[in-house]
Formats: sequence, structure tokens, C-alpha cells
Amino acid sequence: MTATVVPRMSRGVRFRRDSDGSAMLLVPEGILRLNDSAAATLELVNGTRTLTAIVDALCARYAVTREDASRDVDDLIERLSRRGYVDR
Amino acid sequence: MNAPRATSLLCELTYRCNLQCPYCYNPLDLDSYRDELPTETWLRVVAEAAAMGILHIGLSGGEPTLRRDLPEIVAAASRAGLYTNLITQGTFLDDTRLDELLAAGLEHVQISIQAPTEALADQIAGTRVHANKELAIERVMRRNVALTLNCVLHRGNHDAIADVIAFAERHGIAKLELANVQFYGWAYRNRAALLPTRDQIDRALDVVAAARARLAGRMQIAYVLPDYFGDRPKACMNGWGRAFLTVTPDGRVLPCPAAAAIRTLHFERVQDRPLAEIWERSDAFVAYRGTAWMPEPCRSCDRREIDWGGCRCQAFLLTGDAGATDPVCTLSPEHERVIAALGVDGGAPLVPRRMKQPV
Repeated sequence: MTATVVPRMSRGVRFRRDSDGSAMLLVPEGILRLNDSAAATLELVNGTRTLTAIVDALCARYAVTREDASRDVDDLIERLSRRGYVDR
Repeated sequence: MNAPRATSLLCELTYRCNLQCPYCYNPLDLDSYRDELPTETWLRVVAEAAAMGILHIGLSGGEPTLRRDLPEIVAAASRAGLYTNLITQGTFLDDTRLDELLAAGLEHVQISIQAPTEALADQIAGTRVHANKELAIERVMRRNVALTLNCVLHRGNHDAIADVIAFAERHGIAKLELANVQFYGWAYRNRAALLPTRDQIDRALDVVAAARARLAGRMQIAYVLPDYFGDRPKACMNGWGRAFLTVTPDGRVLPCPAAAAIRTLHFERVQDRPLAEIWERSDAFVAYRGTAWMPEPCRSCDRREIDWGGCRCQAFLLTGDAGATDPVCTLSPEHERVIAALGVDGGAPLVPRRMKQPV
């Protein structure tokens, strides 16, 4: 995926983190529970950060190699985009 | 067992509707629900829902926009952080009403059409509505609001699905739900005339597969198979009393929107007991929660925590026992009841949805 792509939540999709720390996407059909890695990524999707900036931020925050972070972000955005939850 | 966290609430604000769709899943005794909850009770229900951890609220009916207080209810839900989804047939969604709802924080709209063309759609709805719906769809699209277009499929419109997809494409729809009729309420009453044929479904699957490939990245198309044509039941409501609850126009709390049909259960009301207590402890919710209630073949089935025994309402309607295995499962001892329904020729006349129950 092109590094300059700016992903954003699709219309009608909202990221939410509960007081207990659990994260989810609220979508028209219901609730999509997120694992820690997906939550950390989607928390950074704000409609202005590029994929590169998101990977940078993840690398700065977590003990993760750039290669792994990049692959995971691409994979997640690709999957959510196919389901209509993220635009890019 | 302990109650899991409820996450989704469906508020059926009214059963009034100006349409007469024979596939409606609302109960047949609509007239007995005319004594609707007042605004302050709905506002309390919304507050209680948010306090018990519910995240997602559907506003439905009947036709929910017939309630003048809908924007107020949306605003309360939105302020409480709930995701708000309006499920409407769209005929009253004029500019003023739509803007009020959006200002109140509405996040998603689902509009249903009966068919892709006016003549067929109005015939199914029993009144002239299609042109108004199309205007409502355009209004929502112009405002850049998240919209799902829904069309309930049955024998009378199944062959028009390519045109439904074209209709959605013409309006720039990003999410299209082609939902086969499920047989509850009025739809159960009209089952013989509504059941699609196996040929219709096979053709539809081809049309949908081609459209999905052609529209990838532009339109999501959901095609929901009718239960009767499956081998295994759906995980109805993700399991009874596991995530989902419905409040009816008169305040009854149901584990599934069709559950009022189960005459062997008593459903408590939000006027009498807090929503969280009804969810956690009322007899109706406890009755089929988890797996302990299951008979064979569910009890020893490795899918028991996948489909949760299927649909309790369907079990009740088809066998008279809400605690039976969902008969759409080929392992059910009563599966022949589903096979028998599939063999019925659809000559029966359709009974239109009316507030007065048909004899």
C-alpha cells in the first residue's frame, strides 16, 4: 500500500475505548471488538495521518520493528477497507 | 449462569406504520400495542441502557419517525455516547425531520425499499410510497450521512435483485443489504406466498457474486440467505440474552424482536423493573441463556456455542416448544416441518399488514 495514503474511518464508523481499556469499532451493523494491536493502530487513524505517520507513531510507542508494524497496519487497513469500515 | 454484558438495544418506538408490507416481522396483534411508552420513559430506558454498558441503539418500529419525540430520544442516546441507528422506511424523512435528527446526533440511517421500481414497490407496500422513499434516499446522500439501503427479498421481488443493485448504484449507495424475509409475525402468516424458490435463490447468488466483483471498493452487498434454505441455524441474536435486547412500544423487554410470539414466556416491562435487572434476572432472559437449557442434539453438538441452538422464536412457531432445537437445523428431529414448508406452492393470497388483526 502507498505510504502516503491517509486512511480515515468511513461514515457511520466510530472508534471507542471503554473505561476498562477494551476497544471496539461501533458500526451500523453493531460492534466489532478490537485486539490491542488493531486498537493501537485505529486510535491513530484521524483522517490526517498517512500510513507512514501511523507506522512511525506505533514504532515510537511500542517495541515493534518497522517491518512488522508496517505489514500489520497494511493488513488491518486492507481488511477493514474491504468491509467498508475504513476509507483510503 | 451470570448475564454477559448487553451491547445492543433495539427500541421499537411504535408499531404504527403507513405501509402494509406482508413480510413485516412485527406481531399480528399490532392493535394491542397502541398504548405507547411516553417520552420520559424512553429517555429513562436510554439512560439505563447506557449505564449498563450498552453501546449501540437501533430506533425502529413500525415506523419510528411517526413519533414526534424521536429527535429528543436520539439526542439523549447520543449524549450518553450510544451509537444511534435509525431504521426507517423513509416516507416521512423530509428535510426538516432529517436535519433535526442529524442535529440530535444521529449516526446512521437505514432506509428500506420494497422493490427497485415504483409499480412493484407500491404494490408490495399496499400504498404509494416509492417515490417518497427515493427522495429521502437522495436527501440522506446529499448530507453525506452514512446510509444502508435495505430490501427485504421474497418470492414476489426476488427476481428483481439485479435492478435493486442498479438502483443502489444509481444513488451512490455504499452499503446494500439484500435480506431474505425471515418468518415471524406477518411474514410467518404469509409464509406460503413469500418463500422464495430454490431456483430464485441460486440465480440471486450468481447475480450477487457478479455484482460484488464489479462493485468491489464501491459498494458492500450483504445477501442474507433465508434460514429455511440453510443446513445449520443462524446464531440468532448471537445467542438468547447474550448481547441484544428489544423494548416494544408498550415497554415489554424481549431477547429478540420476534419473541413476543412465544406465548409460554412472560416478558417484563420497563415500567415495572429496571432494564438491567430484567436483562440479568428476569425469567424470560434466563430461560434460554447459555447452553444448560439445551436438548439433544444441541446439548452435545460442537456448534452449541456457535449457533446457540438457533432461533427460539422459530423453534416455537414451528414446533410449539421454544426450547426445541431450531428446526431449520438438519439435525433437528422436527426438520421435516421446514422441508414441508418448502414444498408448499405459493398460491396463497398475501394478507397485508394492518393494525387490526386478520381473522
